Amino acid sequence: MKTLTIDQLIERVDHIPRLPDTALRLIPVITDPASTLEQIVGCLRYDPVITAELLRLCNSAYFGLPRRIDCVDEAVRLLGTNQLLRLVLAASTRALLARPQRGYGLRPGALWEHSVGVALACQLLAERLRRPDTEMLYTAGLLHDIGKVVLNEYVANAYVQIAHCVAEGNISFLDAERCVLGFSHAEVGGRLAEMWNLPEPTVRCIRFHHEPDTPDEPDPNVDVVHLADATCLIIGIGGGEVDGLAYPANSTVLRRTGLNEKKLESIGADLVLQLKKVQELFALHV
Amino acid sequence: MRTVVVDIADLKVSNDPDTILITYSLGSCIALAIYDPAARVGGLLHFMLPESALSPEKAQANPAMFCDTGVPRLFHAAYELGAQKSRLQVKVAGGAMLLDENGTFNIGKRNYLALRKLLWKNGVLIDAEDVGGSISRTVSVNLATGAVTVKSRNREKPL
Repeated sequence: MKTLTIDQLIERVDHIPRLPDTALRLIPVITDPASTLEQIVGCLRYDPVITAELLRLCNSAYFGLPRRIDCVDEAVRLLGTNQLLRLVLAASTRALLARPQRGYGLRPGALWEHSVGVALACQLLAERLRRPDTEMLYTAGLLHDIGKVVLNEYVANAYVQIAHCVAEGNISFLDAERCVLGFSHAEVGGRLAEMWNLPEPTVRCIRFHHEPDTPDEPDPNVDVVHLADATCLIIGIGGGEVDGLAYPANSTVLRRTGLNEKKLESIGADLVLQLKKVQELFALHV
Repeated sequence: MRTVVVDIADLKVSNDPDTILITYSLGSCIALAIYDPAARVGGLLHFMLPESALSPEKAQANPAMFCDTGVPRLFHAAYELGAQKSRLQVKVAGGAMLLDENGTFNIGKRNYLALRKLLWKNGVLIDAEDVGGSISRTVSVNLATGAVTVKSRNREKPL
């Protein structure tokens, strides 16, 4: 196993996970503040599935609009692009992320719930910290664990060995993945995001979300995704029954952002309430 | 058997013996399970924070979010269905932590201590518990028997 490179590993996986083309086109457009409304609508207009989903979402009780919306332009104009596109993006990753990931002990839907939770937590943190790049952080949060979809089978096969490393070696699940498989789900996710041509800041967030001190210079975006993930793992939002909470939490990051534990708890409480609303929208349970 | 899911910051009580109450993937949150074998009434609370002082408005709308507002709510809901305090079996699971050398993210421990203090002050003993560590736990209560099960790391065990 260890002799494989990440690229060889990704090549060997029978069905390489892939986001819908619309999502891949949409991500660079919505993470770029200079994008125009026409560009955004252009990404959506020719995808009937996404268009239908978008119209269903904006006509749901969640938005409480006074009249029925039946075209994309109108939906985007009325609701503002950000809120709507976040939901469209969450919806478009559902099929890929909601599959059960048995290697990590994730029941059907759990990885998607966790991913949406981290995306919402990124958004809440970005707002609290007055960060300009909320959309990029939301997207990075949504995709931070995408590597698990690739590694799942390998983790399942090597489960006994990995669990032994975590229990006996007192190391994190991330180090155990690296020790047994040669790389972690974060590294695999980063590579996958590169292959999909996602923007570089998004790739960095995915790659370093468990190790915010690894880049040469602290990256404030990585810090936000790390804290958002830690918040969801702590609360147990879509947590895996295999890896659980066996990940390092970096308290230096908390200091760097100027937040403290109390503020993070308060954000956690907001997050759970927001997530409940989103779950109602998509008719889901945590 | 009917499965009823208890979400985060949520509680459910029932006297329907055909029901299993279940709460998934607890992290630092705590699951508190109570069961009266004579009345066959049981309940499950999944709270996430120790004190409602953090946000009284949220506590008002979602009492099950906090230990100090959720626990009394759980007990009273069970009493309304005929449970009696003296007969209640009380079991606790959760309160896990991330790997954090500095102990900054210790909410799991604080949740557990807040619960112990509250139960002790009210003369309620904990019959069994499975708390701490860095594992995620799924907890279920079978309302026909009162059996509480904890599932973690691919293993299921009675509590």
